[in-house]
Amino acid sequence: MKFIKPSSLPDLFDRLQNYEGRKFFLAGGSDINIQIKNRMIRDEPIFYINHLDELRGIQVVDDTVIIGALTSYADIISSPILKEKLPFFRNSLKLFASPLLQSVATIGGNIANSSPTADILPLLLVLDAEVRLLTRSKLRFIPINEFYTGYKEYVMKTNEIIGSVHINIDAEKNWLAYYRKVGSRQSLTIAKLALAGIMKLKENSITAIKIAAGALNEYPRRLTTTENYLKSKRKEDIADKELKEVLTEDITPITDLRSDKNYRFDVCLNLIKEFINSY
Amino acid sequence: MRSPRKVDARSKINGSHKFIDDYIFPDMIYGYLYYARCHHGYIRKITFPEEFDLKNFIIIDYKDIPGRNIVPEPEPDQPFLVENEVYHYGQIIMGIAHPNKAILKQFVEKIEIEYEELTALTDIKECLEDESNAFGREIIIDQRQSLEPRSEWIKTSAVYYTAHQEQAYLETQGMIAIYNQDQRSIYVLGTMQCPYFVKEAVEMIMGDKITEVVIETAEGIGGAFGGKEDFPNILAGVASLLAYKAEKPVKIVLERSDDIVITTKRHPSRVEIETYTDPVTNKIRKLKIDYRLDAGGYLTLSPVVLSRGVLHSFGGYNIRDVFIHGRLLRSNTPSNGAFRGFGAPQAFFAIESHIDKIAGDLKIDPLELRMKNILQKDDRMPTTQIIREDHILDCLNRVIEKSDYKQKYIEFQEYNQHHDNKKGIGISICFHGGGYTGNGEKVLQSKVKMTIEKDAAVNIYVANTDMGQGAHTTLAQMVSETLDHPLNKTRVVIPNTSKTPNSGPTVASRTIYIIGNLLCDLSLQIKKEIQGNLDEYVRSHNTLFPKEYSRCFTPDPTVVFDDKTYLGTGYKDYSWAACVCEVFYQTSIFKLDLKKIWTVLDIGIPVNPKIAEGQVEGGLLQAMGYALTEYFYKPDFGRMHGFTDYILPTTLDTPEMDIEFIHTDSDFAKGLGEIPMNYPAPAIRNAFHHATGIFIDEIPLTPERIYENIKGKS
Repeated sequence: MKFIKPSSLPDLFDRLQNYEGRKFFLAGGSDINIQIKNRMIRDEPIFYINHLDELRGIQVVDDTVIIGALTSYADIISSPILKEKLPFFRNSLKLFASPLLQSVATIGGNIANSSPTADILPLLLVLDAEVRLLTRSKLRFIPINEFYTGYKEYVMKTNEIIGSVHINIDAEKNWLAYYRKVGSRQSLTIAKLALAGIMKLKENSITAIKIAAGALNEYPRRLTTTENYLKSKRKEDIADKELKEVLTEDITPITDLRSDKNYRFDVCLNLIKEFINSY
Repeated sequence: MRSPRKVDARSKINGSHKFIDDYIFPDMIYGYLYYARCHHGYIRKITFPEEFDLKNFIIIDYKDIPGRNIVPEPEPDQPFLVENEVYHYGQIIMGIAHPNKAILKQFVEKIEIEYEELTALTDIKECLEDESNAFGREIIIDQRQSLEPRSEWIKTSAVYYTAHQEQAYLETQGMIAIYNQDQRSIYVLGTMQCPYFVKEAVEMIMGDKITEVVIETAEGIGGAFGGKEDFPNILAGVASLLAYKAEKPVKIVLERSDDIVITTKRHPSRVEIETYTDPVTNKIRKLKIDYRLDAGGYLTLSPVVLSRGVLHSFGGYNIRDVFIHGRLLRSNTPSNGAFRGFGAPQAFFAIESHIDKIAGDLKIDPLELRMKNILQKDDRMPTTQIIREDHILDCLNRVIEKSDYKQKYIEFQEYNQHHDNKKGIGISICFHGGGYTGNGEKVLQSKVKMTIEKDAAVNIYVANTDMGQGAHTTLAQMVSETLDHPLNKTRVVIPNTSKTPNSGPTVASRTIYIIGNLLCDLSLQIKKEIQGNLDEYVRSHNTLFPKEYSRCFTPDPTVVFDDKTYLGTGYKDYSWAACVCEVFYQTSIFKLDLKKIWTVLDIGIPVNPKIAEGQVEGGLLQAMGYALTEYFYKPDFGRMHGFTDYILPTTLDTPEMDIEFIHTDSDFAKGLGEIPMNYPAPAIRNAFHHATGIFIDEIPLTPERIYENIKGKS
């Protein structure tokens, strides 16, 4: 195992040039340390980046909330900016993992680890967050919606790192929001499924809706067929059978040690209904 | 009744308390248990990775065993190391040691074994359903009264299932073995419940190559719950053989991912119950139980788990016509073993669920049915043992009163008619026999020893270990209070078989009840001798000290148990308990949560109420996990490899607990360790039944199981 600790961000980019192919970036270590221990990471170089403070912190620039990739969940939860600007996003993360993990796990790490069950992703998806990717000489923005391409696959190249996550300051303003994680217990639990949604209602009609699910596909994604079906529908016109049919297009739940596909499907359906009926 | 602080509290908090992995000896090397990755088959070929120099490794298999390849305790039927036929996944084939842990790990990962696979039985239900899998040791209690069921009697029958449960001790299994060539002796230091079992195991595997074996426990034992009753025997055996061959100290500490795969679990069960109840009197007239456990690959502890299970299977009820059949079934999975409760949690899950099923058939409140049939003063258990007091009735009455059960039972039914989410309330009652079953304590003949030093310090020597349950604090407190001597001058010495007498294993809720009370007897004997203050006496008779005192357990001659008919006094003293559980069921996600549990226990006089309360809290939480989330095996997916998917409750899941001790007859401390594990699961199940009207005969009540049950019916 090759372990590299760069002295600064420019030094990191310099050194990255010396390593082709897959590499890992160690920040809080809540995922990577386990992968090292279980020998899922063997020969790939590991770059320690947790001391690169320019990648940490929360700020508002113009109409955007910028969350540095190394910002921990504890920092997100205790941020006055997020409490004021994105309270739904912030409150939804309170039950993430456990207080211990919240203080080390970072938002960038959670995105890069690209677990289908990552708690934060359904939220970022409905809030149309963007990921800023950095290389030595370039930066580019990728909407989180286009970031993943398959199970543990993403558009980020091996010489790129996640610099920050950008969310519009009004992303949840005037939206009715819903987030629910279904796990086996109250804390320290991997989601069996998670659903995030925001919508606008006029009288009883849904004028706009965004729904994203975690742990129900090879990577978390928006439920676009379901969104299209629900859009401009009156609440009372939503038919169970039709909703079920459209949802079948959007999710591919599986049976594993943790849960069963039929359970996951039906609970997802129940949560969508719960979301809509809670307003 | 006082609650002095645990003697190990400070050192455990500041981190100075030493657990097995904290010990290092000069030249110590590291060992690994290489186990089978095959459920059943013959070993055809073992290939070691070529890139390593085999000379640097110490490798032992069954051919290296100088003594006998059989683990002596508890049932001598399991080999230390596989000879040819692998009987279950996780069975140990070789011991391997190397000075460098990382190299050892890389080496063992690359070992390849070719197996000739044979048919294997690994599915729990497949094992439990098929009577032809039975292997030995069946138990029958036949108290049939040639009573023909009347046509108006209500017949209720059902089959109840429980799953594996992992002990989940915080500290994994670990041993260090040191061979002394000059003295031909072996010293083993480790984390264990039963030093003398371990001693026998090391003597067995080493045979005449050694003349002395000394077993000592580490300063700290990080939890056990039964999991360190029999597995340490194998581990110590293999570690000793490695140390003998290496002529160096060998440390083996299991990684969690290995520990969870190869060590013992609670037995899965299938319990079929058939009853006939008179609908006029609401009296249960006939009871028939078929109690089965999946023992795993070898018998080991299963026969004794079975006997305790059978002797608790009839529950706290006065039923005269009883037939109980207990059996062990064999599968190609690691042997199941001891776990807090020892067959009783399975028994009570079945009988206490069944009582609610009968109540459903009779359309009455389950409380009313319990009150009609509960064991009262002068009633007889089916084993013919007579009950001297209204122990369990008092517990039940008190818990019903405290929890406001009667009001809530009606209130929740009303609430549930108007709400999507449901509330429910359920009861269970229970008992647990203290100490070894039947004639066990007579056979054990436990001995204890105390020394009084020149400075009047009192040292207590017992083989019972403190694994975090606070036994050494409580035992020292019992001696200190009886002798009227300061607690800070009274201590339990870390068990070491070279100086500690054999006071039996640390199991069966016997440590305080048998050993503690034996120490009290010895203390009274000393008190009689000194006639006054111990400090003063030692000062004035200083030449007599240090002095050694000892005492052996004397069985009560009136206690008689017939090992053939299983009639008589199963246990001399029982602890009793009742509980009420309040649950909340979230319909949209099919999830059941335990909100509050009230429990009232009669454990005689608790020595240290704070420690006793801690034991009950831990047991209740462990039982909640058993009832709601913990399963270890899933068909098509096999067994789990860690705590990511094996779901233990966390602090946030902990329900509100209301714990009260009452005492009905005994003016001494009775067994406590296991009973809180026995009864919450059925009460939670019964509360779910009350909340939803859905009768599920199996735990854990995971959302997926509840979902399947609802879907299966619609």
